[in-house]
Amino acid sequence: MAGPDTRKTTGSAAKPSLMELAGERLGRGLLAIALPLAVLVLWQLSGKNGAVAGGALPTPDRVWNAWLVWAFGKPGPMTLSPYVGTWADAIYFSAMRVAKGFGLAVLVGVPLGIIIGWSRLAASMVDPTIQWLRPVPITAWLPISIAIFGISDFGAVFLITIGAFYPIVINTTQGARDVDKNWIRAALMMGASQWDILRRVVLPAALPSIFTGLRIGLGIGWTAVIVSEMVAVKSGLGYVLWDAYYVGRMDIVIADMVSIGLFGFLSDWAIVRLERWVLKWRRLQNFNQ
Amino acid sequence: MGTISLRGVSKVYGGARAVTALDHVDFEVAEGEFVALLGPSGCGKSTLLNLVAGFEGLSEGTLSFDNAPVTRPGPDRGVVFQEASLLPWLNVWENVVFGPKVQKLDRSDYEPRAREILKIVGLEAFHEALPVQLSGGMRQRVGIARALVMQPRALLMDEPFGALDAQTRLSMQALLLEVWQKLKTTVLFVTHDIDEAILLADRICVMTARPGRITRTIPITLPRPRSIDDLTSAEFNRFKALIMAEMRGGHH
Ligand SMILES: Nc1ncnc2c1ncn2[C@@H]1O[C@H](COP(=O)(O)OP(=O)(O)OP(=O)(O)O)[C@@H](O)[C@H]1O
Ligand SMILES: [Mg+2]
Repeated sequence: MAGPDTRKTTGSAAKPSLMELAGERLGRGLLAIALPLAVLVLWQLSGKNGAVAGGALPTPDRVWNAWLVWAFGKPGPMTLSPYVGTWADAIYFSAMRVAKGFGLAVLVGVPLGIIIGWSRLAASMVDPTIQWLRPVPITAWLPISIAIFGISDFGAVFLITIGAFYPIVINTTQGARDVDKNWIRAALMMGASQWDILRRVVLPAALPSIFTGLRIGLGIGWTAVIVSEMVAVKSGLGYVLWDAYYVGRMDIVIADMVSIGLFGFLSDWAIVRLERWVLKWRRLQNFNQ
Repeated sequence: MGTISLRGVSKVYGGARAVTALDHVDFEVAEGEFVALLGPSGCGKSTLLNLVAGFEGLSEGTLSFDNAPVTRPGPDRGVVFQEASLLPWLNVWENVVFGPKVQKLDRSDYEPRAREILKIVGLEAFHEALPVQLSGGMRQRVGIARALVMQPRALLMDEPFGALDAQTRLSMQALLLEVWQKLKTTVLFVTHDIDEAILLADRICVMTARPGRITRTIPITLPRPRSIDDLTSAEFNRFKALIMAEMRGGHH
């Protein structure tokens, strides 16, 4: 028996020092940033006079400067460019639409998914319709959305709701279907009503898959907001993207793309944090805590 | 009439090939009696218990509990599952008070009781722990506590210690003996462990498979209170020899 060996491995596995932890985090941070940094450097170096590929693509420094003006510039009375100090507005409009559309999709998708997953009757009534409508991409909903809501905020919200709804409802259904039979039996044995079962057993049991649906749904929500703003609304990151392209401001186009990526990432991160907090019991079950 | 009463009960599982899990079973458990159902795997022990619990419907016969036909599960029959089947997102305390809470009982009524029961099963220091943070034996003790807190008229236990190691199993049997000797609740206890059945039960019903039937009932007259020391007594071994002969020999 290799006594000392065993002790050493369990010792370091049980309690890594603070320094080790900090070092590990730093190492992982550096690894994560290496690739984008390399791309930026290459991109910058391959440009001449602030442009790459014969002028079609601006270099990172020009994008950065354009973003500074877009974000922090003070428009004077004679400013004609819409890209001075309006970045926060664009973010706000898009984010609000995503929040509204996504919120609506959650409000409809989660309860509906729970009911479809729980009741065979509801499943045979609603599920086929959902499955038929699902292959229709959100872009195909654009004309009807404009026809009904016009060039308005709600058109965008509608598209986001549709886009986010499917992954949410489908994953919730799956989660509600996979509930351990003995959890239900235990609850029934303890005197739970059907409503108690749905709320206190099926819903929490389905939460891990619900969160999967939320993450996918939110991603689609960001796609939908950009698409609808490019076509059907006159504000937000999607509108700026298309508008800047038309007036040849590729620096703004790229700054806009980076902003979409950043806020998409942030909102996903927020959901992951929420998930970690809500599903603590689940995390403790996992091999990789 | 007993607390639990089965008359000519059959259970056939449908499907491509129908399985007769129980075939015209007559079975009674009297008030305050501890009855063990003993038999090989697949003989229909769980099926019988699930029928009494109201988890499944019978195909034939009559089944009553406290002189009323069983139609659905309810808190008058506390079930202890083999794998505990606690709700993993609730901590120990929340699992134990789940029953009284959904029954909308008065807090001041059930909270002291829940605390006391958790103390009896040795978990007073683990109220906040989640099921994943407990050992198998501890989880099973929560399972027992959650059934007891409802003050059920009967406890239905389906191989509750089947998944535990030998030592934990012994301590759980000791705990159950202690609790039962205090409460004297009616217990229907499913097991395929002969020692466990003799140690705990007033009466052992031996089942055989294909078709599922109760072939023999053996009263265990070991004096009470019992303890796990009885496992090595001469009288204990007489019962063991008798039951082993019964199970090997099959039908009489
Ligand atoms: N839901 C079901 N559908 C079809 N057949 C079933 C079902 N449940 C049990 N059976 C069948 O009924 C018979 C009795 O099963 P049961 O689970 O009652 O046995 P058991 O005595 O509890 O066995 P074990 O000791 O392995 O738990 C078996 O042949 C089994 O295959
Ligand atoms: Mg069984």
